[in-house]
Amino acid sequence: MTDFQFSEEQRDCLQELVNVAMGLASDKLARYLNTLVHLQVPAIKLVKTEQLPEHFADRHQQQSVTMISLGFFGDQGLRGETIMLYQLENVGVIAKLLGYSDDDSSEAEMLTDISSVLTTTFLNGLAEQLDNSFSYAAPRILSSRDKHFAEKLASTAEQWQLALQVDIRYQLTDYSFNCDMILLIPGEAVLRLRLILDQILASF
Amino acid sequence: MQLDWLLQPLLAQLNTGVLVLNDQHQIVFFNQFIARRADKRLEHTQGQLVYDVFDDLPRAWLQRKLDGVLSLQAPAFSSWEQRQYILKLPHLRPLSSDSLYMAQNCTMLPLTAPDGVSHYVCMLIEDATDAYVYQLQLQQSMAQLELANRTDGLTGVYNRRYWQQQLGYEVARAVRYQHSLALLLFDLDKFKQLNDQYGHQGGDAVLVELSAVIGALLRDTDLLGRYGGEEFGVVLPETDLQGAVLVANRICKAVAEHQLLFNGQTLNVTVSIGVSSYKGQTADELIQQADMALYNAKRQGRNRVVAWQEPAEVYLKQVK
Repeated sequence: MTDFQFSEEQRDCLQELVNVAMGLASDKLARYLNTLVHLQVPAIKLVKTEQLPEHFADRHQQQSVTMISLGFFGDQGLRGETIMLYQLENVGVIAKLLGYSDDDSSEAEMLTDISSVLTTTFLNGLAEQLDNSFSYAAPRILSSRDKHFAEKLASTAEQWQLALQVDIRYQLTDYSFNCDMILLIPGEAVLRLRLILDQILASF
Repeated sequence: MQLDWLLQPLLAQLNTGVLVLNDQHQIVFFNQFIARRADKRLEHTQGQLVYDVFDDLPRAWLQRKLDGVLSLQAPAFSSWEQRQYILKLPHLRPLSSDSLYMAQNCTMLPLTAPDGVSHYVCMLIEDATDAYVYQLQLQQSMAQLELANRTDGLTGVYNRRYWQQQLGYEVARAVRYQHSLALLLFDLDKFKQLNDQYGHQGGDAVLVELSAVIGALLRDTDLLGRYGGEEFGVVLPETDLQGAVLVANRICKAVAEHQLLFNGQTLNVTVSIGVSSYKGQTADELIQQADMALYNAKRQGRNRVVAWQEPAEVYLKQVK
């Protein structure tokens, strides 16, 4: 079986790239939302995909989580899926953040909007760091207001070999909310990612 | 090989709408897909605000989306599931769909001109009317199945399984909110005789008509279900014993006065009704008590209402 583990150096390098990507995202979001956005340096964790559902079921109450997926494709076989997990009680905050309070947008629409804004802004930054560029599939709501988010996460995660868990905390001047982002990457892309990381490490 | 010649014919024949706007949201380009469906000509609309060219655009929403794409240089999406359409365009399925306009998936992509400073947004519009129509059909089928799954095939009232499940919920609600709750069980008197005399069709006709007569006497929140053969139950939420007996007497009287026509003959039928009310029992105990009261109503001569009374032991002995 292929080993998808990362070395210490590779992991540190990836953490650094994620940090830079977050910084870029935070800057863009601040300008877009016209308010100070502070994205805390995210802690990344490489998780075995089979452990994901259990992990997130512990973190979240089943019925109060919305799960939104967004697929991305880059050059050289770099591809994957991001999953954002939101607490539904944050929906009001998100609506205010996006300026949605005064029109007819549904909860589903707001959540897919904020998800694509957050993930594509971050992933564009990451792609830049990796000398790549990503194209995106439209966001999909995998589960909302039902009891099965852990099972749905399990069936989604099982297609992938590596999960990169990125805990994000968005802090704005007036609001703050937490959400979890999970980057799911297939085996070939993990190998590819390791090669790229090695190249970056070698160039230092 | 020079491939530039490909661009025009491809854009013209692409089965996806392509609409390009500049950073002021003015129209730069749209392809034949949009031109033909919207009946607009590019040369007449170029340079105009997209909101002025296309009627009824969700302006505030679209402005925010386009500004987001431009300032973040990241794509935005819109799905027919959340917003059925952005541009009001006709679709090619006038017969199979009850929707007037094309359901659309839309991707908004940031574009930068070779000069590096001019920014544009490209809106790709895909026809999702098929998916929309299938989704509607699926929802309708699901609704029909759900209805069939809780309905008694003959009489149209709730079937036993669903009715009993609802009784369980009502008991739980009565416990939680300290509400009153009552239960009626009733049985057609001498139904066997009726069947023997008029055949099963006659019996069935009586069940169908009486269900309608009784259903019309109940409130929307009352639950009428067929418990078995000629036995029915009514769950009366927010009703105490006294209120339930009133309802039961009304049903008893209405049935006795109702003249049923079957094959040109007038049938007179009556019902016996047992009543129980919630005082901390389980759903099963409520049914059991109403059933005992019903048995007593039969024993006392039929066409009457009997409420269950404590103590249960005495009743059990009488029944036996």
